[in-house]
Amino acid sequence: MPPLKSLQHQFPSIDSNLLHFCASHGIFSVEDFLVHDLYMLVALAERQTSSKGLKEGIAQVLTFLNNQHFPWMNGVELLESTQHNKHFLLTGFDGIDTLLCGGLCEGNLTELAGPSSSGKTQFCLHAAAHVAYTYMCSVLYLDTSNSFSSKRISYRVNRLLASPNKGEKGRSLEGIMSSILSHSVFDIFSMFETLHQLELSLSSQAEIQNSKLRLLIVDSISSLITPILGGKGPQGHSLMLNVGFILKKLAIDYNLAVLVTNHTVVGEGGNSKPALGESWKSVPHTRLLLSRDQMSNICNMSILKHTSMACGQTASFRLDG
Amino acid sequence: MESAREWIKCDESAKSLMDRVSMERPSLLLPPPLHRAPLCAGNVVEIVGPSPSAKSYILLQAAINCILPKEWNGIHYGGLERLVMYFDLDCRFDVSYLSQSLKRRIVRAQGPDSHSLVEQDTHLDEVLFLACLKRFLYIRCYNSLEFLAALKTIRPQLQTESEGHGIGVHFLMFDSISAYYWIDRAYKPLSSAISNRKPFSLQSITEAVVQELRQLLQFHPMLVLATKPALLGLEFSACHITRKQSSSPSATGMLPLSRGAERFLYREYMPSAWQSFVSHRIHLRISDETFADAENRYLPIYITEWELPPLSYSDKFTVRDEGIFLVV
Repeated sequence: MPPLKSLQHQFPSIDSNLLHFCASHGIFSVEDFLVHDLYMLVALAERQTSSKGLKEGIAQVLTFLNNQHFPWMNGVELLESTQHNKHFLLTGFDGIDTLLCGGLCEGNLTELAGPSSSGKTQFCLHAAAHVAYTYMCSVLYLDTSNSFSSKRISYRVNRLLASPNKGEKGRSLEGIMSSILSHSVFDIFSMFETLHQLELSLSSQAEIQNSKLRLLIVDSISSLITPILGGKGPQGHSLMLNVGFILKKLAIDYNLAVLVTNHTVVGEGGNSKPALGESWKSVPHTRLLLSRDQMSNICNMSILKHTSMACGQTASFRLDG
Repeated sequence: MESAREWIKCDESAKSLMDRVSMERPSLLLPPPLHRAPLCAGNVVEIVGPSPSAKSYILLQAAINCILPKEWNGIHYGGLERLVMYFDLDCRFDVSYLSQSLKRRIVRAQGPDSHSLVEQDTHLDEVLFLACLKRFLYIRCYNSLEFLAALKTIRPQLQTESEGHGIGVHFLMFDSISAYYWIDRAYKPLSSAISNRKPFSLQSITEAVVQELRQLLQFHPMLVLATKPALLGLEFSACHITRKQSSSPSATGMLPLSRGAERFLYREYMPSAWQSFVSHRIHLRISDETFADAENRYLPIYITEWELPPLSYSDKFTVRDEGIFLVV
C-alpha cells in the first residue's frame, strides 16, 4: 500500500495540509490509515481550521480504499460469472473425472496427497498431457523435485494422437509438447518470484486467447514448505499461507485450475494423513488422498474435502507403464 | 433541585424498552445446531472446530434461512427475508453449492413428493430463486489490507443495498476470521523514531477490525457469525502428539485414545481484542460414530458444545444435501 504522499497527484484533495495533519497522528501510509479509527480522525479534523479540506481529503483516501478490494457482488452476479468462467478440465482418467464431477475445476486449488511412489507425479504428468491435448491450451508445470519427465508426457500425447477420436488434423506432437512449460523451483523464495512473474504476465496478456494458460501444476509443494516449517517463529507458517493465497488468487482471478501435490505423514492411530499440518488444511478447495496397491498397480483416490461433496467417496484408476 | 428531579425521572417504562429493543435488535431463531442459545442482532457468534467439521456448511444454511422469504405464493418457507453480507476470507466459497442448496430448500418447501432433479427444474420458481440470490451479498479478500479496506468502506455499500432492497442486513458472516493469522503474525513492526505511529502487526490489525465492527454494529445491529479453524496443540509439533499416543498402548496396555474421547484440546490463539468481542462461542468436532442414511451411506456425526454460554448438553448432527439434521 503506497505512502499517502504518492496519492497526491491522483487525488487533489490530498494536499500538504492533510499530510501534515495525518503525520501529527502518526499516519504516513495507507496502511497506517487502515489501522486508525477514522471517525476519531474526522472528529479531530473538525477542530482544525481547515476542517472542510481535511474531511474531503479523508473521503478521497476512502475512495482509493474502495478500489483496493474486490467489489461487492450479489448472488446472481456471482453465479453468472462462475458459470461463465469456471469450467472443468478432464484429466483423462474416467473414474477420477466422474469422482470430481467433471475433472479439475478452474478457479479451485486441488491438493493431491499420497505417500511416496503412489503415483502423484505420474497423475500430474498424464493430466498435463491430456489437458494440453484436449483443450489446446498451455500448461505450466512447476517442478520442485526434478520429477518432470518429458518422455512420459510425449508417450501419453502419442497415445492420445493415435487414438481413433483424434479431432482435427494438424495437431502434432511438437505443437502440444511446446504448450507444456516446465520450470524448476527449488526453494520457497524462487517460488514466490515465479508466481509473481506469472501473475504479471497473465494480467498483461488478458486478451490473448490462443494457447491460454489453463492448468498450473506444482509438484510438490510440500518439499518447498516442509524445510521451513517447524522452529518457534511464525515465519514458516506465514510463508506457507502466503504461497497458498497467491495460488488461490491465481486460480480465482485468472480462471486457472491449480493442482498441487503433497506427501503424507503418519497421523494418530497409524493412519496416514497429508503433511503440512492443520493450518494448511484451510487452503485447498479440494483435497484428495492417493494410495497405490503395489501388486496390481491400481491407484485409489479418495476425497478428503470438497467444497460441495461429501467426503469419503473413492475411485480407482490404473496408470500405464 | 430541578436537575436532580430530572435525573431520577424515568426515561421509559419497561414495556416500551422491551418494544424498542425487540424492534431494533430482534431475536433470531437460527437453524440447528445454533438454535440452542438465544441470539439477537448485535451478538457475535464464533464457530470453532478442526477441519473438517461442517463450519462453512452451517454458515451456508444460516444464510439460506435468512435470504428465503417467510411466505411466497402461498407456500411457507420460514425464512427471514433479509440481506446477508458474506466475507469470504478463505476464498473457498462455492456459489454453485449455495444455489443447489437453495433450490433444494425451495423444492422441499413446495411439496414433500418432489425429490428428483428433473422435477426440480419444472417446479422451481425462478423468480423466487433469483430474488433470494440477490439478497446474498458477497466479497472476497486475499489479505488483511483488503479486508480492512472493505470494512472501512462497508457503510455506503450497506446503505445503498438496504435502500435498494427495502430491507436491512441481518447477518454478517466471516469465513474464516483467522485466515490471515499466521501471515499477520509474521509482520515485523518497523522500528521508527516516530513514537505515535501504530505498528502494523496482528494486534493492531485485529484491534482495527474489532473497532470497525463495533462501530458498525452500533448503527446497524446485525448478527455476526464467524468461523475459526481450531489449530490443535499449537505449541506441540505433530510428531510429539503421535509419540505420546503411540506409547500409551504399549505402556499401559489400554486401547488407544479414540477421537471421540479427546476433549477439546483447542488453544485460543486469536488476540484478546477479538476474544473479548465474541459474545457466543460454539465448538464442533467430528465424532467416531457414523450415521447410516436411507441409501446406506455412512455419514459422519458431528458433536457441538457451547462454550459461551456454557450449556450442559451437546447436540449431534449430520450433514446431508437437504440440510443439517439432528441425531438423537
